[in-house]
Amino acid sequence: MSIQEQYRSRAKELLGEGSVKMVIGYGVGTTATRRRPIFITSPDETDRLVLDASCRTNLAGYLLREGLLADQKSIAVFLLPDGVRALNILAAESQLATAQIVVLGFEIKGEEVKPLEGTAAGDFSAIIAERKEQRKAQPSHEMAVKLEEMTPAERFAFWEKEFSRCIKCYACRAACPMCWCRRCVVDNNQPQWVNTSSHTLGNLEWNLVRAFHLAGRCVECGNCSEACPVNIPLHLLNGRMTDEVLTAFDHYPGADEQQEPVLASFRKDDPETFIL
Amino acid sequence: MAKIGVFVCHCGENIAAKVDCTKLVAAMEGHPGVAIAHEYKYFCSEPGQESIKKAVAEYGLTGVIVAACSPRMHEATFRTACAEAGLNPYLCEIANIREQCSWVHNDGEQATRKAIEITRSLVEKVKRNNELQPIEVPVTRRALVIGGGIAGIQAALDIANAGGEVVLVEREASLGGHMAQLSETFPTLDCSQCIMTPRMVEAARHPKIRLLTYSEIEKVEGFIGNFNVTVRQKARFVDMNLCTGCGECMQKCPAKKISGEFDCGLANRTAIYTPFAQAVPNKPVIDSEHCIFFKNGKCKACQRVCPTDAINFEMEDELVELEIGAIVVATGFQVQNTALYGEYGYGRYPDVLTGLQFERLASASGPTGGKITRPSDGKEPETIVFIQCAGSRDPSKGIAYCSKICCMYTAKHAMLYRHKNHDGNSRIFYMDIRAAGKGYDEFTRRAIEEDGAGYVRGRVSKLWQENGKLMVRGADTLLGRPVEVAADMVVLATAMVPQPDSKELGKTLGIGYDEYGFFNEAHLKLRPVETATAGIFLAGACQSPKDIPDSVAQASACASKVLALFSRDKLEREPVIAQNNEATCSGCWGCVLACPYNAIEKKDLTDRSGNLIRRVASVNAGLCQGCGTCVTFCRSNSIDLAGFTEKQIFAEVMGL
Repeated sequence: MSIQEQYRSRAKELLGEGSVKMVIGYGVGTTATRRRPIFITSPDETDRLVLDASCRTNLAGYLLREGLLADQKSIAVFLLPDGVRALNILAAESQLATAQIVVLGFEIKGEEVKPLEGTAAGDFSAIIAERKEQRKAQPSHEMAVKLEEMTPAERFAFWEKEFSRCIKCYACRAACPMCWCRRCVVDNNQPQWVNTSSHTLGNLEWNLVRAFHLAGRCVECGNCSEACPVNIPLHLLNGRMTDEVLTAFDHYPGADEQQEPVLASFRKDDPETFIL
Repeated sequence: MAKIGVFVCHCGENIAAKVDCTKLVAAMEGHPGVAIAHEYKYFCSEPGQESIKKAVAEYGLTGVIVAACSPRMHEATFRTACAEAGLNPYLCEIANIREQCSWVHNDGEQATRKAIEITRSLVEKVKRNNELQPIEVPVTRRALVIGGGIAGIQAALDIANAGGEVVLVEREASLGGHMAQLSETFPTLDCSQCIMTPRMVEAARHPKIRLLTYSEIEKVEGFIGNFNVTVRQKARFVDMNLCTGCGECMQKCPAKKISGEFDCGLANRTAIYTPFAQAVPNKPVIDSEHCIFFKNGKCKACQRVCPTDAINFEMEDELVELEIGAIVVATGFQVQNTALYGEYGYGRYPDVLTGLQFERLASASGPTGGKITRPSDGKEPETIVFIQCAGSRDPSKGIAYCSKICCMYTAKHAMLYRHKNHDGNSRIFYMDIRAAGKGYDEFTRRAIEEDGAGYVRGRVSKLWQENGKLMVRGADTLLGRPVEVAADMVVLATAMVPQPDSKELGKTLGIGYDEYGFFNEAHLKLRPVETATAGIFLAGACQSPKDIPDSVAQASACASKVLALFSRDKLEREPVIAQNNEATCSGCWGCVLACPYNAIEKKDLTDRSGNLIRRVASVNAGLCQGCGTCVTFCRSNSIDLAGFTEKQIFAEVMGL
């Protein structure tokens, strides 16, 4: 049985026995390699589920739709390891209770999709720990290395150029599982800290504010860059913040659901190199 | 429409010498929303304040800017003046054009430009200021006094005599503290116990004082006027209501070889014991660590002889919950032991004592009945060497401070020794004689001139045993030559140190402490009994080394602070506190984690039928100190600080 079939039948089983009220998974999209999220509530529809190497979107954010989990019923969701990390952060930030979530975990190696053992968020700690070590050992992107080698002026010019394309559509915000604020700071117009029109200063402000708000929370799922209609490499910016918390505080976002936010907690041995 | 009044103060020459105040006034006059702008030599003066009040009434001002010194100086002055003129005080702001402008710039023209910018940005802020009302919190008129030594007893009695309720908590089995251990007290040589025990009895019998001995502070929550304190009452294994204090149990207890704390190890006690004869309450406790029954399950000798069946081996620690309005910390000190000193034998020689041990030897209630004899062989010493500053004022031992009491008690020791042994020789090695205090210098002179105290100015470098004598080698720096004394006893004036667990208590209470563990006062000179935490006060040696007169004075000062607090029904607090926008709060609790005062609670939002919709952050107005940490943490900007709202700060920045 193919992995897709395995997961379809697992979903059918979960819905059939009534242990979940919905399965959030991947369905066919507009092109051969594009997948779109689908929300299945009946065991008869599980054949619409697709699972292949194109299923890279992090679906964790869809769990936060207002009222979705209010009835205390469970929902199953297809998640890559980074998605499980996102789930942990959402639980740590009191946005959901992991007890309500059945994880249909999988990972993608090259072009191959592999199943992951476990159903609860806590079952995936081993693979998350493994990924933390990998992440520590090497930067996530070639371009990240190049950016580090640039002078500050060159780097600024790079980002200024990238951000100049931004049209403030906020697709990054909509796609990001961590952007769950009921009211985003950019939508607060009393006062209007961040200019909404699409010009250099406002663009820079918006993208930097979002990066700071993701510091210690970004799981590097790549949803933001994928969603960006003008191809700004946002993952590089957010990845840089992940580097920072990882090296300074050994903080790997979403390692478990007890994790405290890195910017609101401290340990006695935290480095204080920034204090002059 | 805003009608702002701008008042530019010259501060004599302080501002006017650099800033062109007339130009500043002219610039403000043309600014939108400014109704009037005036300058004056000293706005903080009586006529200056009057002119502001008059202007508020005359022009119907909706906001006031005083461009003057730092708000730390006169914000309260001008806000009060505005309030007197009928304007909400929080509509008055200070533009600091002195410390942040005239004092720090040389170029007058640039300074003037900067002063205009500063003042204009404050005008923009004040246009968005809201009227704020002081927050009222109720006051529980019950004080907690931690520590039953002389400081704690004094504070408790003063508060109770004025009608306040007091809970007096003492960690040991009896009240008394260190003062109960002393023989006679300088500079009047009155017997310590004779003046101490009546106070102990008075405290115990006082109808307004609830005494909790053998108890420790477990948890402190809440805030000024409204503390919730949990006290752990340790199991005494003796029923206080049944026990008559007859002492039969102590007679029969077979575990007799326990080093007695009250006698500083110079005498033994039993496992069931009262620390000393005049203990208050005079009812024993069982030290479960040494009790034979607790060690191997057999004995119960005390239970068999107890005529009232007061012994209960099943007793457990009890947690007592208290509602408290103010806390007095009077936890006292400890004396550094002799083992710290390699040069004085690391505490190996039994006849090298601490000052406190000598007190017990000289005390009529002590192990020798007041006879000064050597612990090693019980002989009367012919020569005693006293070494002052044994640890104190010695950064190499880690204690840089002066312990303050040692000069005086050493003089007293030499005096007592001569009174009890007329042929006795005393030699005192000292660095300086510090005898500042009423009757203190006269006292040390008396020790030297009438009681033969032999002072040698210099340090002792080495101490060793030879032919049954303690050989003391030191320097006499006044004669410039080494001295060697063969002594029978050596008394070290070891340093006064904080209680070993003072830092933990500091954390429990949320008050600061210094590098040694002495608690920090809010201001050494002007607020010496307050801590930085409102409603918590310090008395006695827990703050710094102190003698009895100082401790008692500070304790009474604490009582006056507590009583001032209790004189009001409600406390008024600055309304500069955080406020949460429940509509936009997502309940991530980042603010809860960030808040250093535990001031943010979780609040349920429910619909009309009581169903939970979601939970949001809610700020406890009594606890919030207005530090703004939560504001910086809130990603959605849901939390704002009254008086410093986002809108105000934004306007201020954009006004530049």
